[in-house]
Amino acid sequence: MLPHLRDLDFWQITVMLLSILIFCPLIALILLSFGDSEGLWKHLFETVLTRYVSNTLLLMIGVSIFSLIFGITTAWILTTYRFWFSNLLEILMLLPMACPAYLVAYAYTDFFEYAGPVQGFLRDLMGWQTASDYVFPEIRSLGGAIFVLSAVLYPYIYLLAKTAFRQTPNSYYEVSQLYKKNLFWNISLPLARPAIVAGLALVCMEVVSDFGTVEYFALETLTLGIFNVWIGMNNINAAAQISTFTFIFILLLLLVEIRSRAGKRFNDTSSRQTNKNAKFINGIEAAFCIVACLVPVFLGFFIPVLILISNAITSLDYHNFNEVFKIFMNTLIISICGALCIIIVSTTMASTAYFSGKTYLRTIANFSASGYAFPGTMLAIGILVFVGVLDKALGILSTEGMNLFLSGTLFMLIFAYIVKFQAVGYGAVLSGLTRTSPNLVWASRTLGLSFQKTVSRVTIPLIKKSIIAGGVLAFVDIMKELPITLLLRPFDFETLATFTYQFAHDELMGQASIPALLIILVGLIPVLFLNKILKDSI
Amino acid sequence: MKVFKLLGIMILISITWTNIAKSTELNIYSHRQPFLINPFLEEFTKKTGITTNVIYSTKGLAQRLRSEGKNSPADVVLTVDIGRLYIYQDMDLLSSINSEKLSENIPMHLRSADNTWFGLSKRSRIIVTSKDRVEVGAIKRVEDLADSRWKGKICTRPGSHVYSRALMSSMIAAHGLKKAEEWAEGLVSNLARRPQGNDRAQVKAIYEGQCDIAIINNYYFGKLKYSEIEEQRDWAKSLNLIFPNQGENDRGAHINISGGGVAKYSKNKESAILLLEFLTDKFAQTLYGEINFEYPVNPKVEPSEELKSWGKFKEDKLPILKIAELSRDAQKVIDRVGW
Repeated sequence: MLPHLRDLDFWQITVMLLSILIFCPLIALILLSFGDSEGLWKHLFETVLTRYVSNTLLLMIGVSIFSLIFGITTAWILTTYRFWFSNLLEILMLLPMACPAYLVAYAYTDFFEYAGPVQGFLRDLMGWQTASDYVFPEIRSLGGAIFVLSAVLYPYIYLLAKTAFRQTPNSYYEVSQLYKKNLFWNISLPLARPAIVAGLALVCMEVVSDFGTVEYFALETLTLGIFNVWIGMNNINAAAQISTFTFIFILLLLLVEIRSRAGKRFNDTSSRQTNKNAKFINGIEAAFCIVACLVPVFLGFFIPVLILISNAITSLDYHNFNEVFKIFMNTLIISICGALCIIIVSTTMASTAYFSGKTYLRTIANFSASGYAFPGTMLAIGILVFVGVLDKALGILSTEGMNLFLSGTLFMLIFAYIVKFQAVGYGAVLSGLTRTSPNLVWASRTLGLSFQKTVSRVTIPLIKKSIIAGGVLAFVDIMKELPITLLLRPFDFETLATFTYQFAHDELMGQASIPALLIILVGLIPVLFLNKILKDSI
Repeated sequence: MKVFKLLGIMILISITWTNIAKSTELNIYSHRQPFLINPFLEEFTKKTGITTNVIYSTKGLAQRLRSEGKNSPADVVLTVDIGRLYIYQDMDLLSSINSEKLSENIPMHLRSADNTWFGLSKRSRIIVTSKDRVEVGAIKRVEDLADSRWKGKICTRPGSHVYSRALMSSMIAAHGLKKAEEWAEGLVSNLARRPQGNDRAQVKAIYEGQCDIAIINNYYFGKLKYSEIEEQRDWAKSLNLIFPNQGENDRGAHINISGGGVAKYSKNKESAILLLEFLTDKFAQTLYGEINFEYPVNPKVEPSEELKSWGKFKEDKLPILKIAELSRDAQKVIDRVGW
């Protein structure tokens, strides 16, 4: 039991306030859902709700299975074996992270649909005349959506799993050999569980909140239902209700996992002696590993990018490159600002909540990271409502000459990014913290350092990699983010995503392709950087 | 502390970056893509010296306007589809304005009775059929699409899209809920594939032989016919174009509008009205046709030559607001029949 410490009090209060601030937009949404739904639920139950729920569940299960398979196998192969190109592959595995799912969906649709080159080629080859002559799986379908989302989301799991596998202490490895236990099933996988689950949680939330892909594939999920109710029936209350229920469902899933983990500890007190003895392999084994790793990268990156490039070539002359450059800079600046804020906020929150030893503080902090599970547009509405209320308060402070308000400022946009992507930073930092031993912190406190200094001198250096990983993930997410930016941005403020969208929305793939490729290009920089950092320091 | 300094700097950056409403500038919330409205705005600035700022989003701008309340910098709202205009009216976000010019330029059934929103251009939901596979004259009305003769031949976008929903509303207005639902059931049972894609994708499917008949907005035909991509021009060539319900006693083809209004708390109402007036005058009305193959609302302005070459048509004179009012019923039918 720690003595009562004033300096920790300050941070605890800060964390409480931050959590409340971040949670307010979600409360606004929840309050909105108490509004009158005008008897729409009866209609929804009788007609579409079953379809929405089952599609959402199937999509979530499907994407989870495939991204776990992709993510864990490749992470395991690349930590335990060395083979030709394995260094290069480690970098390549992360590339799909730079691709927004909806753009990949656009690209694949062009490619695989009836009118696309694949089916066209097959028809020429086999002499088929019409659609009724053969069976080809439809890309705009549940299966198609699972395929596209898994292909771009698996890196979340890969990244966190690989970091965890790398840090499996050598001593455990030796023990497993002594007892003739399987290193993967008995040691590494259970130890990596918090990290893998953190990744899986991100994947699931990403799936539930995805709008672009499911809209394009006309797959009737809950998210699509939210918009049908909101726009089609002009009832935002019922829409908020659906999103709140989805949100509660996700929270329950997470709670189940946290419960089942309760009482188990994943601290690693010997992180210096990690398993560095990757085994060299070649021949058939190596070839098999290379193929296993290349499949997801091709699906999630090379094929869609090649399709985009071929689209871009056909429309090179319609672009105003000056304009695109300005938008490129906007995107870069806003993403960096957003990612920095997220790192600062989530490091503060995670370390205070973790070391304070107070369950309620952790619960509050966990809750504030749940914005990720809301569809972007709904979250944006919550933010609008909340900031609108704040502005009313600020209005009282305003004087004639100086009108204070936050609505429509970049400040609001950055706040929105924190609300949405807090989970990304927080999850990464927390998974780093759970792997460091609290002993070090207690030792530092015992030696007289304040909490703040302990965090900055002991904790942060220890979990530096996790923090950077969280920041990079947040950067890439913000850069790709569409619905929040679209609705909350200031006048004449375009990011690459919004600029792409105005064309993609109209299925003008030629014009959309160059900004789309730029999004991917900007996304590659931090992704490659991330890989280097993770490598250097292990 | 470093952290706070950093935050301070960021607040400063974000505030200086924000365009605080200036009196000589007009702030527009638009549901239409910038590349579609910019040619109009550029001409407007040239003519009046008033510069414009735009925020484009497909969803949620009404909510943004509402929660910004009196602080909102927005002056003008521009949107497509009567359903969206209705939402602005319903939330009381538009101001009622007095402009003789607007009343003169826009027919009664295309603007609101309380002068809050105004139709600026018209588009018609038309039927296109394959030149090779559907004989001319085989389909004359939207109602014909429910005929089991066309089983497996029709492609449409999802029923829950605003355009489909508006068409559904017009069917309810014409036939009542029960008959309209029967029609929708018939249509759905005739679909060649699960409803998907936008109107462009439906035409592509006809060209490739996946289906023979589709429902699209008229301007898509123009966009494809003059597309920069050769293949898309071929898609347009493979089509016959049908303005439905043209019989002597029939109601005419279903139309929808793009439109706009002046934000309730606009600090700049005069310029805002000026923009709406500009958009209904000859120059802009002609431009709608030339840029986006839309029909003018102003009866004194002729449709573009290209539009004229597609043939004259009679439009459904149903007060356009009715379409929006029936939207919820339409969505319910769509949910029930699984369109």
